Amino acid sequence: MEKLTDALAARFASPTRSSRLTVVLGRWLGLSFLVCFATGLFSHGLQNPPSWMFFPTSPAWIYQLSQGIHVTTGLASIPLLLAKLWSVYPELLKWPPVRSLLHGLERASVALFVASSLLQVTTGLINTYKWYPWPFPFRETHYWLAWVITGSLVLHIAVKLPVILANWRRPGRGPAVTARAGDSEPAAAGRWTRRAFLAGVGTTAGVLVLTTAGQSFAWFDPLNVFAPRKMGTGPQSVPVNRTAEQANVKDQAMAPDWKLAVAYQGSRRMFSLAELRSLPQYAHELPIACVEGWSQTAQWRGVRIRDLVAAVGGPADAVLRVTSLEPEGAYRTMDMPTAYVQDERTLVALELNGEILDLEHGYPARIIAPGRPGVLQTKWLQSVEVL
Amino acid sequence: MKPTPGQVPASVPAAGPVGAPSRTVKIVRIVLIASGVAVISYGLLGLPTQLGAMQLVGLLAWLAGAVVLHDGVVVPLSTLVGAGLTRIGVGLRPASSAVLRGALMTGALVTLLVALLLKAQSVAQNVSVLEGQYAVALCWFWAALTLVTAAAIFVLQRRAPAAGP
Repeated sequence: MEKLTDALAARFASPTRSSRLTVVLGRWLGLSFLVCFATGLFSHGLQNPPSWMFFPTSPAWIYQLSQGIHVTTGLASIPLLLAKLWSVYPELLKWPPVRSLLHGLERASVALFVASSLLQVTTGLINTYKWYPWPFPFRETHYWLAWVITGSLVLHIAVKLPVILANWRRPGRGPAVTARAGDSEPAAAGRWTRRAFLAGVGTTAGVLVLTTAGQSFAWFDPLNVFAPRKMGTGPQSVPVNRTAEQANVKDQAMAPDWKLAVAYQGSRRMFSLAELRSLPQYAHELPIACVEGWSQTAQWRGVRIRDLVAAVGGPADAVLRVTSLEPEGAYRTMDMPTAYVQDERTLVALELNGEILDLEHGYPARIIAPGRPGVLQTKWLQSVEVL
Repeated sequence: MKPTPGQVPASVPAAGPVGAPSRTVKIVRIVLIASGVAVISYGLLGLPTQLGAMQLVGLLAWLAGAVVLHDGVVVPLSTLVGAGLTRIGVGLRPASSAVLRGALMTGALVTLLVALLLKAQSVAQNVSVLEGQYAVALCWFWAALTLVTAAAIFVLQRRAPAAGP
């Protein structure tokens, strides 16, 4: 068996592989995973806030930035992950597969790390296409696997620490040299050097970023050819995530006798569309930024939410529960922490880019607040309740 | 949890590739192992709180499938392509060979991405998602990639061998 695996390993052998190559790729990949983890936790905290959660409303594009970085870095990590795994592939074929209990545990932890990393980046990518071919809920799985991956990363660094330290610096500069394909060594015939390989991986990641980041960041928009979203598309030049048809709200939202209920301590006031339009109107340029990474800045106009709270005698530090006309859906109700209620840019928007809000964007009225995930910018409002 | 920058280089000469690790390295490793195991456990124990039994089974199947697909198909296939490139590359200068490999790596990843986009587009329900002409864009991408790669290899091949890589 050992002969067989040795022969297999020889088939897969490449002089480009070295511990130094793996360490360099590991640094890039580890950093991208940590960036994804941090931005992912921020997004999760905004949607399922723990008691200590902070809610930054300025700059208004903070969520556009953090989630754009999350999705773009996740995409860039795909070539890094593939390259990193390629660099250690012969380890897979070593025989005997388990030498001791400790070795077995290490291999099991690596298997968990590899499997969850591959699944995380793949399902993360496909989720941005709004395609869900798997038999488990995306958000919850993505969240818990992120902990598994981050823990595995820390554990893996611990296990490999001596190798990492020995190869942290370029061979030839430090005293410890284990690399086989050094910078100064020429490539084996027809092969490529470590540096050339790294340049190839870097170029691949760069191309993926350049051709997709335009869905999150306007500067890259001209190069956006492979992202699922394009800025400036959709009704009123703003993309739509959940349509009125999907939400099953058309009849109620288009009803001529629609009214917005605003409630505080048992008292309730109903605002017709005409009444809302007669209140002082404010216009703000705010981005709508989705968990899937895309974002779109637009001109929103409507009533300040804090003015509505004041109209029913609610306190300045109110926390709100906002309900949509949607009969069902995970985001039918949304709780709004004080930070957004107090921010003067948080609107019950009636207009978008100078026109009456399109049905797809939440007609007759929707929420738009600075720095919140798109799913919390509730559309087709039914009621606002001061908690 | 991590060693300070000052400590890391200092421990390198003592540690060596497989030599006896220094005391600092030992402590750092123990702390990292303990916290790593704790964080993994938190994630693994969290999964069943939100996923049902059948969903967990589905997740396990997808995890295993990801590894099998990667280790059993993706890597062997890329190794096969790499072996072919090595044969072609023998006649090329090292820099040209590297450009060719890098271009194919980028092209392969972009093609994989577009394949997923096209599949998702075929099942999409929303009008303002996946609007791009991805297949057309991919053709243009390969045209540009081929052009740039060919030009780069042409220039590199014409240089005198004495110039070195």
